[in-house]
Amino acid sequence: MRALRTAASGMAAQQLNVEVISNNIANMNTVGFKRQRAEFQDLIYQNVERMGAQSSSQGTVVPTGIQVGLGVKAGSVYRITEQGTPAQTGNDFDVAIDGRGYFQITLPSGETAYTRAGNFSLNGEGQLVTDDGYAVEPAIQIPQDAVDVSISKSGQVQVITDGTPEPQVVGQLEIATFFNEAGLESIGDNLLLETAASGTATPGVPGDPGFGQLLQGFTESSNVDAVSEISSLIIAQRAYEMNSKVISTADEMMSVSANVKS
Amino acid sequence: MENAAYIGLSRQMTLRRELDVVANNIANAETTGFKVEQLLVGTEIGERARNDQIRPSASFVLDNGVGRDFAQGALKQTGRSLDFAIDGEGAFFTVADGNGDAYTRDGAFTIDPQGVLVTKAGLPVQGDGGDIILDPLQGPATVGTDGTISQNGLPVGQLTLARFDALGALSKDGDGLYRNRSNAQPIEATGAQIRQGMLESSNVNSLIEITNLIEISRAYERVSKMIENANDLSRRSVERLGSAN
Repeated sequence: MRALRTAASGMAAQQLNVEVISNNIANMNTVGFKRQRAEFQDLIYQNVERMGAQSSSQGTVVPTGIQVGLGVKAGSVYRITEQGTPAQTGNDFDVAIDGRGYFQITLPSGETAYTRAGNFSLNGEGQLVTDDGYAVEPAIQIPQDAVDVSISKSGQVQVITDGTPEPQVVGQLEIATFFNEAGLESIGDNLLLETAASGTATPGVPGDPGFGQLLQGFTESSNVDAVSEISSLIIAQRAYEMNSKVISTADEMMSVSANVKS
Repeated sequence: MENAAYIGLSRQMTLRRELDVVANNIANAETTGFKVEQLLVGTEIGERARNDQIRPSASFVLDNGVGRDFAQGALKQTGRSLDFAIDGEGAFFTVADGNGDAYTRDGAFTIDPQGVLVTKAGLPVQGDGGDIILDPLQGPATVGTDGTISQNGLPVGQLTLARFDALGALSKDGDGLYRNRSNAQPIEATGAQIRQGMLESSNVNSLIEITNLIEISRAYERVSKMIENANDLSRRSVERLGSAN
């Protein structure tokens, strides 16, 4: 019976849906997190009677045919790169991107990863690093005697040291954009990697055409909307239930046939 | 004489197929752009199950097609700039793959590393001048209801919608794609509009599908009972006639 497998594919799809939604809800307060959405597609169709097939020797043809679908599959899980709300933190090293672009982070392996989470801090050497201590690229070195750090909208990092009222430029933050942001690969820890689908990174100065600008003292909240996630969860649960109903109906019908008295 | 069983069997076969179709509808209740299907069941006209001069003749049950309801599905807002929904029945986005054009209502598109607008499966979406190429440095693409795509205020192409006179000639390929199996050429869909940032939900009505499910299951039981009764009848007549000897 096809119906059993079809319904099973529907349950598997809704399970994936619930998993994606639960990850969104779990990351509701993760800085720079982008919500994801599972997208589904119908599976292949079985041609029981092909449309256009001859239905008589008089040349009449079947107008619609019978195509029986075999269920559903996950088409893709998208990352929705909508801007998250900037939340004020007052921390000098918190930087949010308003618009397109990703911070570039050097992984311990030497690879470059990308992130929207701009909650940076300084390491023991005064270098700007992420929560995990990975260096921001290009490297920004803050002198030990700096009393105030300011990061401009275009990513210029200036410090004021004791005794010198004139701000000194100590570095320039750069961000990178991609043709297809949705094609970046998530590796956890708020980090993303470049893939063949995303295209190569185009680094640039914040505020240039096509690049977002920076906001110092802010972090980008996740773009998860609790209300829509919860309603998606309810819809997914109901869809799961309906598919299980199909399984029990198919099972019932098979047992009816099996129990026919001869 | 065994016709009652055969007629019953023909109905049970169509009921099982109806269940398959309903199961597929329910499995795809959350599939973007999916259109609900129904098995068209009628009486077999060609072959009579029994020809009788006096009593009305009996016929087998035959499924002669799957009907698709191309009614508009509800539009839901997604907040993604490359999601498009068609507002208008019977219109499709055209996508190109190796085997010519295919048609879809699923407008959850994305762009590939070269900036070409593609479907989830990576098939390029067709506009008035072939593939649609976007430049990411020119900012987000805005799409008007007539399909005009502009970036940074400048038009870069137009999404076109296709329509068919005979929608029954479209066959499904899976992955949300339809293929044109007739000789009829697609015509430009003028009445339909494109909505950016939205997706079309499937038009599966879960209440109706669950009701169908119950109906199918009960009908199957009834037919099964009928076959049983017919069997019983012939068994008893054999017993009774046998004992008369």
